[in-house]
Amino acid sequence: MKRLRLRWIALLAVFLVVAACGGDDDDTATTAAAADTTEAPADTTAAPTDTTMAATSTSGAPTGEILTDVGVDLEAGTITVGLLSDLTGPFGPLVTAIVTGQEVYWENVNATGGVNGLTVNLEVRDTSYDVPTHVSLYEELKTQVVAFGHSTGSPHTVAINPQLQADGILAVPLTWYSGWSDPAINSNLVSHGTPYCLESMNLIEYAMDQAVAAGTAAPTIAIVSLPGDYGLDSAIGAAIAAETLGLEVVYDGTGAVVPGQDLTPIANEIVAADPDIVFITTTPTAFTEIYGPAIQQGFEAIWTGASPTYNPAFLASPLADALQRDFIGSAYVAPWGSGTPGTDELEALIASLRPDAMPLDYYAEGFVEAKILHEALLAAHEAGDMTQAGVLAAAKSLDEVDFNGLAPNESYTGEPNERLQREIVIFRPDAALLAAGGTGANVVEPAYTSETAANYEFTGACFVLE
Amino acid sequence: MRGRPNLYVSYEDEQAILPTWTKRVLMVVFGLAAVLIPLGAVLQFGERTVQPLGFLAGGDWLRILGTVAITAIAALGLNILTGLCGQVSLGHAFFMGIGAYTAAVLGSPVGAAGVFGSRWGAGLPMWVWLPAAGIVAAMVGALVAPTAVRVRGLYLAFVTLGLVFIGEWMFRTFVAVTGGSQSGRSFPPLNLRLWGIEREGQPATGPGLDLVGDGPSWAPINWLDWLLGPWINLPDTMSSEAKHYVVLGAIAVVFVLFAKNLQRTRIGRSFMAIRDRDIAAEVMGVADAGAKTRAFAISSFYAGVSGALLGAFVTRLIPESFGLDLSVQFVAIILIGGAGTVTGALLGTVFVVVLPRLVQDFSLWLTETVNAGGFLAPVADLVVSTGPGDFGLVSTSQGVTPGLNVAQLNFVLYGVLIIIFLIFEPLGLYGIWIRIRNYWKAWPFTY
Repeated sequence: MKRLRLRWIALLAVFLVVAACGGDDDDTATTAAAADTTEAPADTTAAPTDTTMAATSTSGAPTGEILTDVGVDLEAGTITVGLLSDLTGPFGPLVTAIVTGQEVYWENVNATGGVNGLTVNLEVRDTSYDVPTHVSLYEELKTQVVAFGHSTGSPHTVAINPQLQADGILAVPLTWYSGWSDPAINSNLVSHGTPYCLESMNLIEYAMDQAVAAGTAAPTIAIVSLPGDYGLDSAIGAAIAAETLGLEVVYDGTGAVVPGQDLTPIANEIVAADPDIVFITTTPTAFTEIYGPAIQQGFEAIWTGASPTYNPAFLASPLADALQRDFIGSAYVAPWGSGTPGTDELEALIASLRPDAMPLDYYAEGFVEAKILHEALLAAHEAGDMTQAGVLAAAKSLDEVDFNGLAPNESYTGEPNERLQREIVIFRPDAALLAAGGTGANVVEPAYTSETAANYEFTGACFVLE
Repeated sequence: MRGRPNLYVSYEDEQAILPTWTKRVLMVVFGLAAVLIPLGAVLQFGERTVQPLGFLAGGDWLRILGTVAITAIAALGLNILTGLCGQVSLGHAFFMGIGAYTAAVLGSPVGAAGVFGSRWGAGLPMWVWLPAAGIVAAMVGALVAPTAVRVRGLYLAFVTLGLVFIGEWMFRTFVAVTGGSQSGRSFPPLNLRLWGIEREGQPATGPGLDLVGDGPSWAPINWLDWLLGPWINLPDTMSSEAKHYVVLGAIAVVFVLFAKNLQRTRIGRSFMAIRDRDIAAEVMGVADAGAKTRAFAISSFYAGVSGALLGAFVTRLIPESFGLDLSVQFVAIILIGGAGTVTGALLGTVFVVVLPRLVQDFSLWLTETVNAGGFLAPVADLVVSTGPGDFGLVSTSQGVTPGLNVAQLNFVLYGVLIIIFLIFEPLGLYGIWIRIRNYWKAWPFTY
């Protein structure tokens, strides 16, 4: 026993020594690593950590020679792109369709010559909208992919952000959080679409104009949202708009919606406050649990909210009639059947490559994400640097990405306040369009930017994820 | 007399952690493997080099191993409460949350508005916040215990189930501490610092050891490399994940030893007496309420430390992370591994943490096999579903296809395995191990 205990103490002591001795090794670490990489600038097969340095030091490499490290295999002619997708969590059905959009986009690119002859393969991983799983899967994919075609969820993307920065890898965030436009956060991210915060401003100004046109002199508003980055970012934008436009907030339910709880009390409070406009940002299920009880009491108002609140399936439910009367919808991408060159191309590709797929607006989101990465890969190829860091730098230098009418064009250079996307699509639900084989979105404003949103000075995230 | 199985000449020998030489040798081999393989040891045979199980040294597998270490600590805690003391608890996630948020408040950098800003943070070093996370969780555990000791079995399960829901509500509501629902907060990184208050936006002060970032190997690793001679070589650099693995592994080893020793003490025996027959235990002089309170406190200490490490490891958690699913995961670990034994809890942890990755890799491999063609393709095609109209158990395509996807398959496997183990092998993986061991013990005379 005594001897045994001594041995364990010795073992413990070794571990304590581990903790104590490595202390001053770190400074030498960085200098040593830096010295190593300057020696091997032309080494294209170097470890990923080395090539960040190697890539920058050989930007003037001889033409025709392309630098690669992870995820691009010039001999096999393949590019591997990672997707961190929520396939089984709360946004599963939506993200699954977005992944289908990405797959169809790249299948088409591969069939028509690829990215300068290189075939793009997707590595899709299911995060189940769980932060630890998201981080683990990032760790798995980072040694296989050249960039991440999307990363689902704001807290999730914030969690991997320090590692993206340390590893020098690009990711396209699959959330419309306003923080992605903040240069303090987005060094490795290229976002797209109007953030929730500015979307709210657009919707509220549009809804106010509608209410005024209908004869309401001074419209009142109720603001209801989920907690978290999505709900709060949206609700803060709504509050800014209400203040700017002089709308009286008669009921403030910011962050009050807790999914899974009884939401009827919120519906009752909205009805009691009797607003002219209800701004609601929740999940589709929570929306029906508030909207249903409210209209049952004979309540009538203009209802509007962030894009993910609405689900086209509502139009096949008993809510359809009321929704067509009350609801103003928003979209970040042109809805199915908009008739832009981009949507026409998408619809043709879905019809030929996924003949059984039902029409959904989420495919377009997948197309938009894939298009950004496609442009970045082309620019990286032209620059002769298809390393992870090279693709990141190429994406960050994209002056204009043209989505061909599928979504408003994006730019990743210049001042954050200037390049911030402020334009949304506004539609009214239309059951007839759904029945005719579309997604039931009757576009009333294909490119709407309110004055409130246009004049909004962006200095940082509306809701800060600390 | 020496070397005869099951013959002990002293009580001390019988109670030894490693009573036989076979176990001692195996433990040394296992310990060396657990250090060497994940650090990327290379065996040198003249000109030839071999890296056994080299994939374990990859960043993704090191992360899985780190998760195993963290999960093992919490599982050992539940094992003390449920396995040793017989008190079923579904509230383990709540105590992990308490520990995680204690660590977040004590360890996060001090913000611009001071300690009690929009997110509380005192910027204290890890040697303060890690034990504090355990102590606060243990105190909460001791507070809860008076209610819990009055009920038994199913009723206790319900009391602790309530804890999870109260906890989730608290975590969602207390925004300054937890960051609020669905947005969460960042956690202090696993940096070993001797002193110095960390402030937001300023480089860390005080001497210490950063685990974040890659760097040269730590001195003890280099000594080990030197000790092992020219045949086994360790790399000169350590990735951030490797550093985390070493530190988390070391912490887990301390907790394993404590759990193992607890079983051999008066306290541990009083737990087992209560588990086996609480009235008989009281008749023999074991204070029922006191022992149960102690079990709750110790178990919560484990959970608190594990929660704090999880937060630091993942760097950001949302309040919803500490929900019922997490508690159920630990019950599954205990049941699959085998309740009441340290080895069982560890086996269960490895199984439950590694299973999703294995299922994922297996289904990806199946898809590759189908796509590659060849004689295995039709067999793989029976299992995997690659598109609409193609029936199979596992679906790896993202569209609407028949079959389960990887996450769903994992859940189904959990459920099926718990039922199978409860019916056929109540001792869990540990029971299977014991049977295999007993078979070989008397081999070739096994009958």
